[in-house]
Amino acid sequence: MHIPDGFLSTPVWAAMDVAALPAVAVAVRRAQRSFEDSRIPLLGVMGAFVFAAQMINFPVGVGTSSHLVGGALLAFTLGPAPACVVMAAILAIQSLVFQDGGMLALGANVFNMAIAGVFAGYLPYHWFGNGPWRRSAIFAGGALSVLVSAMLALTELLLSHTPIPRAALGLSGVVFLISAVLEGAITLAVAQSLETIQPNFIRRPAERRFAATTLGAAAVLLAAVGVVFASTAPDGIEKITRVQAADTTTWLGKAEAGLAGVALIYAVCLAIGRVVARHRSA
Amino acid sequence: MHHVVLERWSRGTSPLHRRDPRAKLLALGVFLVTLATARRNLPILAPALFAFLAAGLLRARIPAASALLRAGVVFSFTLPFAVISFLTGDPARAAAMLVKSYLSALAVLLLVSTTPVPVLLRGLEAIGAPRFLLMVAQFLYRYLFVISEEAQHMRKAALARGATTRATVARHANFQAAGGAVGALFARSYARAEDIHRAMLARGFNGRFPAAEPLRFARADAVFAAAATLAPVLARLAAERVA
Repeated sequence: MHIPDGFLSTPVWAAMDVAALPAVAVAVRRAQRSFEDSRIPLLGVMGAFVFAAQMINFPVGVGTSSHLVGGALLAFTLGPAPACVVMAAILAIQSLVFQDGGMLALGANVFNMAIAGVFAGYLPYHWFGNGPWRRSAIFAGGALSVLVSAMLALTELLLSHTPIPRAALGLSGVVFLISAVLEGAITLAVAQSLETIQPNFIRRPAERRFAATTLGAAAVLLAAVGVVFASTAPDGIEKITRVQAADTTTWLGKAEAGLAGVALIYAVCLAIGRVVARHRSA
Repeated sequence: MHHVVLERWSRGTSPLHRRDPRAKLLALGVFLVTLATARRNLPILAPALFAFLAAGLLRARIPAASALLRAGVVFSFTLPFAVISFLTGDPARAAAMLVKSYLSALAVLLLVSTTPVPVLLRGLEAIGAPRFLLMVAQFLYRYLFVISEEAQHMRKAALARGATTRATVARHANFQAAGGAVGALFARSYARAEDIHRAMLARGFNGRFPAAEPLRFARADAVFAAAATLAPVLARLAAERVA
C-alpha cells in the first residue's frame, strides 16, 4: 500500500507535493519528445499491464506480502522519462479509484516511486546495460528502485513522527530487502523473456547522459541520507521546530546505527560503481 | 473488480453528479487540507466532517454502507501503526491516524463515485494538470480491466497446473517460466496497444479527445463550491473555538 492521508505531517506532505510537481512536469515534457501524442495508448496500456501485475501479491514470508512495483521494468522498456509519467498515472489512478494512497500524500508517493524509484532503478542499467554485466544491471535496477522507494517512504514517515519501534524498523528493513531481491529477480526474468520474444523491447541505454546519471545517483543518495537523517530526527527536528517529542527511547540509537550501515553500503556501492564505470569508458 | 462498481455509481444523475468537476475538486482539496492540518479537537471536528460526507453520499444516492466499507480499505495500512501508537502510550495519535486516513479516503471515494473518470480527468486538465499525463491515465483506466482479466486467466491457468508461490520461488526453472508468462502478457499488451494505436490513427486520432460537451461552470456549481468549501472550514473553526 502507498502512504495514506493523515500519516505525514503537514510540512512533509506539502514539501513532497511541491517537489513532485515540477519533477512530473519535466518528465512529461521529456516523455512527449520521444512519444508523440498519438502513441499515448502504448503508455496507457503499459501502465495497465504494470497495474495488473502489481495486483498479484506474493507472501514475503513474515506475515506480510509484497508485490511487483515495475518502475525499473518500465524504465528499461520505455525509457526513464516515459516510465515516470506512466508510474505517476498508475499512482494517480490507484489513489483516486482504489483509495490506495492519499491525495495529499500523492506527491510523496509519486516522488518515492515514480521519480526517485524510476531513476534509481534506471541508473545501473544506464551504466552497465551495454556490457557483460547487463543481467546484473537489470537485477540491480529492479532491486534499487524498490529499495530507494521504500527508504524514502520510511524517511517521510519517520520525519512525521510516526511511531515505529525498533523491532518494526528491523522487520521493515528485512521486508524491504526481500522485496528488493524479488523485484530484481522478477524484473530480470521478465526482461530475459522479453528479449527472446522481441529483442528491441528493451532499449539499449543511450550514451552517458549527465542528467540521467545525476538524477539516479541523487535519488539513491537522497534515500540513503534521508533515512539516516530521519532516524536521528526527533532530537534534531525538535530543536528546529521546538515541538515536544511523544517518545524518545534508546531504540532509536540502535535503529540509527542499522540504517546508517545500510546507507554506508549504498554510498560505497555507488562509489565503486562510478570508479568502475570511469575505468570502463577510459 | 472494484472499479466496475465505481463506474456504475459514477453514472448516476443526482445533483451532486451534475456538478462541474472543478467545483468538486476544489471542495475535495479544501476538505482534505482542513482535515490534514487539524490538530486540536479532532473528536468534535471528525464527526462533523463525517456528517458532511454522509450527507453527500445520501444526496448522491450512493449505497452508503458499501461506500463506507470501501473506504475502509485504508485500515489495512493504518491499523498496525495505530495499534503501535496506542501501545506506546499515544492513543490520541492512534485515533487521529485512523480517523484522518479514513475520512480522507471516504472524501476521495465520494468524488470519484459522483464523477465518471473521463469527466474527472477533464476537470483536472482544466485546473492545469498536464494533458499528456491525464491521457495516459485515461487509457490506463480503460484497459485496466482488460489486461488484469488476462492476468487473472494466466494465473488460474498456472494454478490449474499446480503452480504455487513457494514452488515458483524455489526453483529457478519455475521462476523463469513465471517470468516468461509475465513477459508474454507484456508482449500481448504491447501488441494490443500498437493495434489500438493504428486503429485510432486510421480513425483520425491526433492525440486529443474532442469533448462531446465542454465543461460549463454554472451558478449551481458556484453555489455548491462556496458551500462545500465553507462547511469544513467553519466546522474546523468552531471545533477549535469550543476548546
